[in-house]
Amino acid sequence: MILQTLLLSLASALPSADPQPAALPNLFAIRVGRAETITNGTLQHAVILVEGGKIVTIGEDLPVERGIPVIDRPDWVVMPGLVNAYSRLSLEGDAGEEFSPENKASDELFADSEELKDVVKYGVTTLGLYPAGNGVCGQAVAIRPLGKTNADLVLADSCYLKIVLRASSSSKRALRDGFKKADDYVEKEKKAREKWDKEQEKKKSKPTTKKEESKSEDEKKDDSKDEKKSAGPDVYVPPEADPKAQAFLDLRSGKLRALVSVQSAAEYLHFLDALGEEKISWDLRLPLQRESDLYYVLEKKAYGLEADGIGDKKARCVLEPTLTVEPGTMHVRNLPMEFARAGAKLVLIPRSESNPDHEHWLANVGEVVAAGLDRATALRAMTLEAAELLGVDKRLGSLEKEKDANLLFFSGDPLEPTSKLEAVMLEGRIVFGEVKP
Amino acid sequence: MRMNRILGTLALASLFLAPLARGQEPEPAADPKKPDDKHKTEETWFAVTGGDVYTGDGSFLRGATVLAHNGKIERIGFELDFPADTKKLDATGYRVYPGLVAISSSGLLGNSSSEFEDTIDPFSQRMILGLASGITSTGVGNSAVKLERFRIAGAVLRDRIYSTFSWSSRNPSGKQGLRDKFRATADYMREYRDWEEKVKKDKELKEPPKKGVDNAVLSVLRGDTIAKFNAGDRDDLLGIARLAQDYGFRPVIDGCQEGWTVADELGRAGAMAIVTARDRRPKDEHQVIEGGTNIQNASLLYRAGVPIAIAVQQTGVDLSGLVGRDIMGLTIEAGFAVRGGLPEAAAIASITIVPARLLGVSHRVGSIEVGKDCDLIITDGDLLHYNTFVQWAIVDGRIAYDKQKELFFAQIRPRPEPTVAVGERKLDKGESKPEAGKDEADKSGEEKPKEEKPKEEKPKEGREVGALATAPRLIAAPNRNGYRVGGKPVARLTE
Repeated sequence: MILQTLLLSLASALPSADPQPAALPNLFAIRVGRAETITNGTLQHAVILVEGGKIVTIGEDLPVERGIPVIDRPDWVVMPGLVNAYSRLSLEGDAGEEFSPENKASDELFADSEELKDVVKYGVTTLGLYPAGNGVCGQAVAIRPLGKTNADLVLADSCYLKIVLRASSSSKRALRDGFKKADDYVEKEKKAREKWDKEQEKKKSKPTTKKEESKSEDEKKDDSKDEKKSAGPDVYVPPEADPKAQAFLDLRSGKLRALVSVQSAAEYLHFLDALGEEKISWDLRLPLQRESDLYYVLEKKAYGLEADGIGDKKARCVLEPTLTVEPGTMHVRNLPMEFARAGAKLVLIPRSESNPDHEHWLANVGEVVAAGLDRATALRAMTLEAAELLGVDKRLGSLEKEKDANLLFFSGDPLEPTSKLEAVMLEGRIVFGEVKP
Repeated sequence: MRMNRILGTLALASLFLAPLARGQEPEPAADPKKPDDKHKTEETWFAVTGGDVYTGDGSFLRGATVLAHNGKIERIGFELDFPADTKKLDATGYRVYPGLVAISSSGLLGNSSSEFEDTIDPFSQRMILGLASGITSTGVGNSAVKLERFRIAGAVLRDRIYSTFSWSSRNPSGKQGLRDKFRATADYMREYRDWEEKVKKDKELKEPPKKGVDNAVLSVLRGDTIAKFNAGDRDDLLGIARLAQDYGFRPVIDGCQEGWTVADELGRAGAMAIVTARDRRPKDEHQVIEGGTNIQNASLLYRAGVPIAIAVQQTGVDLSGLVGRDIMGLTIEAGFAVRGGLPEAAAIASITIVPARLLGVSHRVGSIEVGKDCDLIITDGDLLHYNTFVQWAIVDGRIAYDKQKELFFAQIRPRPEPTVAVGERKLDKGESKPEAGKDEADKSGEEKPKEEKPKEEKPKEGREVGALATAPRLIAAPNRNGYRVGGKPVARLTE
């Protein structure tokens, strides 16, 4: 209940892109011809009950209690709001230094930006913004595009650590240096621990109490440095890590994922080489240019690679919906399809940051689907898979109960170029188009 | 370098021993789990069968087999036995040469010429074109690298090969400076050796001072690196020869355009030359004596005992510039040296074993010898002929290039069907898959390993060549120039 009120207040704080926001009640039902749920396939005659900006229930032909207002559009198709997980919209911060893992895109946020308002019209209800730069660039933030203050925008921070890896010594060194910094910290921490242990030994030999030992974890944290300074450490306080090292410690512990940008097959191998034995969770950003040789590293067995291919690793790949050609030829390849078939997980993003490319995002994905990519995979790649990349899949990305009511209403199939986006709902509020119960 | 030479000699010696060992029962797979190989993932065997093998050291074996184990040449000869899981490539009717060694190239493995290991692109189109030209190893900058496809590890054979010096008549003080450095360094080395002797008795003795010693010169005189000069003028060549004789090192001279006028002097000084047969430079008209370029340059230098490595004019793959003068024309360039009088065997050596020696990697590459890397090219005719295509390039016992599978030359004189690699042939429509083992048994005639012998470590494949011996033998008959018209092997029957 408290949660609901919280959300309500949150929802009311959301301004709308449209000058005349269509006011919807707190509780209402939607009845549409079809719903793409992403997790549960396509529902015909779908009914969605929304309360306080969340989906309460969704099903086929559900009876709606009398008195609940119903948006009844039997010719419309509904799907979850689009998630552009890899974007720099509205950000204009300059690229930092080569090695800045502590950078956060959330520090550059600019609420009330026109650019963000624009893409809402094209159905984008969630964005993942990353810090600019080369090398280890920093940490991305997941936002909703509308809000008065920066805090209103943020859904989740430190979503992924963006790393640009190129086939060069400096680029590979940046990654290795990061892990070395983490190693240095571990070493430092070990020494501090030993020192503390020794001091404890000394104290033990003298008559002292050891009541402090039984303190819980939380209390340990609360004990601040001044105690350490004053009475000597009765409780072990690990030394503070340099924020650069902390990012890599988080990578190792699994708190942070890496999103590594590699352009070519060779760079993928160089990335694996630079990574060495490190066990971290990583996803790939693969910018597809017109000519791409990434098909070489799809599967280990295809070309007798020594390392596992992208498909073998079941890596998550952030791609543009575009067809490519083999270098030096006109042989067309559908790399998004090949990646999906090889076992990789797809996240599709607009071809560029421009408004037209956001507008044609679905149509572009439609082209790739027409060329062979599985339709369900394509829809998932723009919604739930992207939400998973950002770590917000628990609250959005599909039409399931208890998820945010981020809905797109189309006049027909979303991937059909003739379909029109009629309305966009962001957390239970209509932010584009007109829908009345 | 010295070590390399010793290794090279060892490899050479083992080649001569190989035929002697032929009579013994070879047991390549007898002990597959040696303690050293414990963490190796798998044993790989690869054989190129039935080709006319030009080993690169003068010998020629018609219809021989080259067998590789884990990327190294294990055995060369006739009627070899090999394990059943050996991957085979039927080169009957084709020629087998050692993979070419380009003395220098650029852009085949990546864009950068420095920090090599971190910039290699093993999927590059240029690498495919390099392999299509027969090149399997190359010098890049100051390193020697292999054209390894699909992997980035192990490509660098050797780095820090050369110490490069400048010696030019246009810079007399530079010449004097270099001489001084050599003198100071040679003196230092003499004093150092002396000190080494004396310090055994008198432990207080101080090391000789390193004043005036140049590290590059020191590494040359110690034999760690090779002294390289870029020079072409007769006077400069004579100066370098003199310097080399005075201080006892063997210089590599890149360019060497007027080398033919002082070939004897260069030969006596032990110089090695990197030459381009089609180099053009006019004679200096102020000189009465002979000068300028000469197509006989390579030939005359070779006859004077100067080891020759042939280089091309443009070291990259150039698809728009001077056609035929980029790295893809390496064999053509060697052909022009033959036109100038260089013996054919020497021309082949000038793009294989000699550059391998100059790069200090002749213990690994440059000829087909037991113990060396299995880097081969299989051609459809004489290596130096303009009509010849590289059909396959093998790097480390793996097929790195197959003309029919890459898009560049597949459509030009396509390879006839039956010569597709054994075991790799796709089944035709309606053709049923042969029963497991039946196919092999058919090939080996009656020699199928019998079930009564349970103690056989691995079912041997039988005698691949032996089976052919029972049937009328097919031998490709190259015409006088050693190539086949139309790309189709002309075969004749022999008894």
